[in-house]
Amino acid sequence: MVLDLILDIILWPPLFQLAILPGLAAALIVVMGVIWFERKAAARVQMRVGPLYISPRLGGALQLAADLLRYTMQEIIIPRGVDRAVFIAAPLAGLVVSVLPLVAVPMSPLPETWPIPMDYSVLVALALTTLPPIFLVAAAWASNNKFAVIGGMRESYLITAYEIIAILSLLSAAVAAGTVNVVELVEAQSGGKWLALLNPLAFVAALVAVLMATSGFPFEIPEAENEVVAGAFTEYSGLMYGVNMGAAYIRRYVYSVLIALFFLGGWKPLDPAPGAGVLGGYVLPALVVLVKAIAVMAFLSFLRAVYGRYRLDQALDVAWRLAFPLSMAGFGLGIILAYLGVV
Amino acid sequence: MSSSPEPGLRGMEVGETRRVYGLDVKKVGKDLYEVFIGPQHPGSGHMRIIVRLDGDIIVEADPDLGYVHRTVEKLSEGRQWIKIIPLIERMAILDACNVTLPYVEAVEKLLGIEPPERAKYLRVLLCEINRIASHLYGMGIFGVFLGHSTMYMWPFGDREVFVELAEWLTGARLTHSYPVPGGVRREMPDGFSDSVRKAVRYMRRRLDEYRKLFLDNPVIRRRLEGVGIIPKRTAIELGIVGPNLRASGVRYDVRAIDPYEVYGELEFEVPVFEEGDALARAWVRVEEIRQSLNILEQVVDRLDKMPRNQGLMHDRFWAKAPALFKKVLQDEGRVKLMPLMAMVKVPKGRAMARAEAGRGEIVYYVESDGGITPYRMRVVTPSFRNAIVFKYIAPGHRLADLPAIYGSIDYFPPEADR
Repeated sequence: MVLDLILDIILWPPLFQLAILPGLAAALIVVMGVIWFERKAAARVQMRVGPLYISPRLGGALQLAADLLRYTMQEIIIPRGVDRAVFIAAPLAGLVVSVLPLVAVPMSPLPETWPIPMDYSVLVALALTTLPPIFLVAAAWASNNKFAVIGGMRESYLITAYEIIAILSLLSAAVAAGTVNVVELVEAQSGGKWLALLNPLAFVAALVAVLMATSGFPFEIPEAENEVVAGAFTEYSGLMYGVNMGAAYIRRYVYSVLIALFFLGGWKPLDPAPGAGVLGGYVLPALVVLVKAIAVMAFLSFLRAVYGRYRLDQALDVAWRLAFPLSMAGFGLGIILAYLGVV
Repeated sequence: MSSSPEPGLRGMEVGETRRVYGLDVKKVGKDLYEVFIGPQHPGSGHMRIIVRLDGDIIVEADPDLGYVHRTVEKLSEGRQWIKIIPLIERMAILDACNVTLPYVEAVEKLLGIEPPERAKYLRVLLCEINRIASHLYGMGIFGVFLGHSTMYMWPFGDREVFVELAEWLTGARLTHSYPVPGGVRREMPDGFSDSVRKAVRYMRRRLDEYRKLFLDNPVIRRRLEGVGIIPKRTAIELGIVGPNLRASGVRYDVRAIDPYEVYGELEFEVPVFEEGDALARAWVRVEEIRQSLNILEQVVDRLDKMPRNQGLMHDRFWAKAPALFKKVLQDEGRVKLMPLMAMVKVPKGRAMARAEAGRGEIVYYVESDGGITPYRMRVVTPSFRNAIVFKYIAPGHRLADLPAIYGSIDYFPPEADR
């Protein structure tokens, strides 16, 4: 009776998507896996071994779990000069808000698994992705630290640049398919007509925007260690720091899920029929989306081994002069695709 | 900040000092932001650069040195001549042979002796190994300052090749104490020259890969081109030395203009770049490594033609060596130092010597009053002469350019602070 109630609550689609798959729990596992891959791949390039000491038989895969454990044990120092309420609340709110877009997207075409009605899900998901940076800037401001303020300032500069690119390039997928419903958008890509192949301009622009949004190389500017120590996170310690860093990776994961849905055909090799059950109707399609998202994340993370970081003004230059016209062109290509009725 | 009980900074006048959170806060200028880069900052060495920012633009930069000052010069006055060598190489342990060599030469000048030919070649051999290792170290730091983690790991990994060579030759990875007045302390091991040739071939290939990955990387080029330009005139007026000077178009290399040891007999070029920006400074180091590789090949070729296990130490310290000492040299290739070496009395006089260390010209002035310790030992290190450049080059750049400038200068605090 009680168990049924608990199960009902957990399996309630909005909560399940937020907390378990593809939300926080899955995000944690994926992020740990991708960070491990990032470290191992960079180590391979750089003539190193990478994480190994913790769990040598698994190639050091549990290193991240050990790091997380260490974060939880560390003392959380709250300096005297900070604005306490915002200092504590901002990272936590940022983490939760980072996951929110996942509640607005479907993992399967079956209506009973949708967390919310999907009619305007593209717009809802995109709107929700724009929220987290506010909390980062708030955390920076509340820290009352010069390096944090500079980091927050850099982040806010970058927001103005990447947000429009991200939204334009992701929207061009919706334009091409002529729908703002993610389910219809994914269904339109059936038969291998992935929008990444049909509209590579928008796809590349989206990847650039994600790199900028989540401080991936070569846009790792707000947290540039040699310039501003840890940027907005300079005053954070222990678990609070872990939450901050985790939120950045979770944002990258969320964007990757969106790209997997918008450009890489979502769950598409699979085509769950009504009455497929929880496994066939939800878990497997969700895992397909996850695999594609992981591939995107792995690619983005690997760039760490290839690039240095741009200067802030150069990053803005790249964004406005290169990536923004690229996303406009992608949008135009999306309109052409829609006009020709390709998708 | 509104919740804080202490007074804020609102309404402060320029020059006014207030106590906020236990710190004396002084307003240095209107709308200026004073940021301390160092000494605990991850983007600084053991030094501090006080930077005043107008927005993101550096208005003033003040290098603040001396955090690792170890009174090397004063300590030298209380040590016997030979015991100073391990002390002074602590200034730049990664460049130990280059840093100690001019001191040894100055003492030799006072003693009026000159080391045998083979010892000179062995000194040059280690000097060039050190120079390559030192440049690779600098490039690695440069890479990580620009956020390029691969360019951090690659030179540090490749540096290991040369550190291992140095260890094989001298028995120590870093602080070799290899050249001593009169000669060197070890013979080259068997098969060493082949290993050197192998390392040279390997490193030439790697330098091409550095170029592909780092120096021709579009992101890195944008970060470095036109950044931190030291005009030729400024470089000369400030007294900049080493690769930084040569990147600004001045052909000044002690090895070429005032050859010491056997540099006069070796063929090498002095790479000079005209641009004077951070990219040129990076290129100078790469090209210098290339030249050092050429020198290494020539040196091992000539060493192979000379008889082994002789001509390592001047006769003054070797002619009367007991049979046991000579047996150790034959069996193990080690030059055991005669006891008289520790208490050697250097004739009264003054001597000066200079050498081209990895970071530039290093000058020693040694004065003896005829005793077993120097009366005065003075050293001017290249990093100290280069440090001033921050003050004149950084203003006008963005804060994010500071790591690019710092990395390109290849500043080494312990060497500057002595």
